Amino acid sequence: MKRALFAILHFAAAVIHAETPAAAPHDPRKTAAETAIRIEKPDGTLVGTGVIVTPDGYFLTKASEALKLDALSFRLPDNTVAKAREVRRNVRFDLVLGQIVKAAGLVPVKWNESKSIALGQWLLAPKQGGRETRLGVMSARRREIKGGSAAIGIRMAETNATDGVQITGIAEDSPAAAAGLKEDDVLVAIAGDVIKEYKAVHELIRSREPGEELEIQYRRDGKVSKCTVRLASRNRVLSNWTGEDYANGGISIRTDNFQEIIQHDIPLGPADMGGPLLNLLGQAVGINIARVDRVTTFALPMEIFWPSVQQWIAEDRHPPRAEAR
Amino acid sequence: MSGISGWPSLTVRAAVLAVIVILSPEGGRALESSAAEVGELLKIQAQVQSKLDAVSRAVVAVEAGDGAASGVIVSADGLVMTAAHVTSNPGRAITLILADGRRVSGKSLGVDTWTDAAMMRIDGNKKDWPHVSLCRDLRVAKPGSWCFGLGHPGGFDRSRGPVLRVGHVLKQTPNRLHTDCVLMGGDSGGPLFNLNGEVIGIHSQIWESRDQNVHVSVAPFLRGWDALKKSGVVNTWAMGAGGWLGVHTRISPGAELEVAEVAKDSPAARAGLLAGDIIVTLDGERMLDQPQFSTAISSRASGETISIQVKSKAGPRVVDVKLGTKPPEGN
Repeated sequence: MKRALFAILHFAAAVIHAETPAAAPHDPRKTAAETAIRIEKPDGTLVGTGVIVTPDGYFLTKASEALKLDALSFRLPDNTVAKAREVRRNVRFDLVLGQIVKAAGLVPVKWNESKSIALGQWLLAPKQGGRETRLGVMSARRREIKGGSAAIGIRMAETNATDGVQITGIAEDSPAAAAGLKEDDVLVAIAGDVIKEYKAVHELIRSREPGEELEIQYRRDGKVSKCTVRLASRNRVLSNWTGEDYANGGISIRTDNFQEIIQHDIPLGPADMGGPLLNLLGQAVGINIARVDRVTTFALPMEIFWPSVQQWIAEDRHPPRAEAR
Repeated sequence: MSGISGWPSLTVRAAVLAVIVILSPEGGRALESSAAEVGELLKIQAQVQSKLDAVSRAVVAVEAGDGAASGVIVSADGLVMTAAHVTSNPGRAITLILADGRRVSGKSLGVDTWTDAAMMRIDGNKKDWPHVSLCRDLRVAKPGSWCFGLGHPGGFDRSRGPVLRVGHVLKQTPNRLHTDCVLMGGDSGGPLFNLNGEVIGIHSQIWESRDQNVHVSVAPFLRGWDALKKSGVVNTWAMGAGGWLGVHTRISPGAELEVAEVAKDSPAARAGLLAGDIIVTLDGERMLDQPQFSTAISSRASGETISIQVKSKAGPRVVDVKLGTKPPEGN
C-alpha cells in the first residue's frame, strides 16, 4: 500500500512540475503513512492518530481522544514505540501539542493552504495510524459547526431528594454506559461536588468540555462506588440515545463547536482523528478532527490552528527566562 | 435491508468498517502504482466538478410526514424523482426544500413499491425549474464505472448544502445499482449521477457496511414513466432484464413459495402456472423465498425458457415457460 502511494504522489508531482515550473518543490515520499503516529493504549489498541510537525518530534492530535499523553504509547512511522510529553492542550481547536521524547530526524508534514480546496477535490488521509491510506472528496461546504456543551447520557429523577439524584435512564453507547453506570444508581458526588438536585448535575456537566473526565461517586444497593466518566458532545449523545451505530465504526467524542471545518467523505473511524488531511500531492491541508456519522468527517483547515501551533512550539523551545533581580 | 428516509426507520446493524473508493484492500479497488491511475483520478475530479454546480441546483430536500429525505427535479415543469418509501402513496402533500433554502409545496404522484421508484410534482405552473437529465442507456453504468451521489443526509442543512459522494458502480441488477457512494438516513430519494451529470439511480437502501449502498436504477422509472406520472400504483411483476414471467408469489401458511396470482395473457398463464401452485425448483435450483425467486427470474433474459417444478393438490408437475416481454405497467 505504501509503495503504491509513493508512486502516485511521485507522478502527481511530475505533473505539477511540468505544468507549473514555479511550484514549490516537495518530496513526494512525505505521504500520509510517513507523517502519521499511531497512538496506542498499553494493550496496543489504537486510540488516535497524530501528525508529526517537526523533525524533533512535535506532533498534534485530537485532544478529546487522547486524554493523558503520558499513559499512551506512540508508534512512529519506522514502527518504533516511544513516549511523549504534553506541551499544550487547546480546547478551542480540540488539539493537543505533544513532543516525542528524544526524537530526531522525523519527517514532518508539509503544510499547504486549504482555501483553494474545492467541492469534489480528492483528499487523502491515513487510517489505522498510517498503516493504510484512504481517498475521498471534499463533500460539503466549508463552515462553522456550532455546538459545544457536554453530556454523559443519563436521565435523572426530577425530584428533590436530599441524598443524591437517581438515574432513571442511560443512553446506549454513551459516556455513562462506558463508565459502567446503570439505571437506578444514585449520583452522590460529581468531581468532588456533593449532588443534591438534578439541576445541579445538568449545570455541572454542561459547563464542561467534551473529552474531559469527571469522577463520579454513586450509590448502588446501598454501597457507594466511584467511576470516571469521559464527557461527549451533547449533540452526539442526544441524537443517538439508542446507540445505533449509524456510522459503522463509531463516532468521535467531540463532534461540534469548531470555528471552521472541511467536510469530506473519506471512510475513517474515530481513532483516525488527529491525523493529517492531505491533497493529492501529499501536502497537509488540515487535521481530521471529528468522525460525525456514516457519511461525514470534519477536518480543521490548517489556517485555523497552524499559526498558533507554531507559536506554542517556539514558546516551548525558548521559554521566557525569569528576569534577574 | 432498511429504508433510509429518516432516522427512525434506519437500522444499521453491524459495525463493519468498510471502504469507499480506492486505496483499500477490503473492498474498493486498489490504486495501482501507475501514472494512469492518478491521471484518471484528476480527470474524474474535473468531470465531477464541471457538473456539480448545475446538478446541485436540482437536488431537493423532502419533508413527507415526519421523515426527512431527498429528491431530484427532472423536468422544467417540476417533476421530481424520489424513492417510493419516501412518499408511500400517491396524492400526499409534500414539502420540498430547494438548494437555496426556498420551501415549495408539492404532491406525490405514482409509486412502485417493488422497485422503490416514485415521482412527485412541485405545485404551480412554473416552467423553469432547475433540472437534470436522465441517463437513457444504463448499459454504460457498468460495474467499475465512476459515479457520484448527492443528497441531504440527516435532513436539510442550509449552511452545509447537499452532500457529495464520489464512488463506483459495484453491481447492476435489472432494477438496482449498488455503489460505494456511502449513504445514510435523509439521502433516500436523492440522485446518483454518471460522470456526464445524468441521473442513473435514486438512493434507496443501505446494508450493514459502508460499501453496501443500493440505488433504484432509472430503468424502472423509464419503464413505468407514464404510470408514475399519472399517480399510478405500479405493480412490477417478477421480471428479468426484458424477460417477464407474470406471477405474484407469496409465502404460504406452510412456509412454501406459492403462486398467489397469475397475470392474464402472461407467459406464466400460457404455460399453465396456476394460483395455488407451490414452486419447488427453478431450473433445478431449490426456491425457498420470494427474493430468491425474483432474483432468479430477473437474472434471465426475455426469450429464455425456464423450467419450474411445482406441486399442487393434483400432484407434482414441471412447467416450462418461455419468458416474454413485459407489457406497459400501471393501473
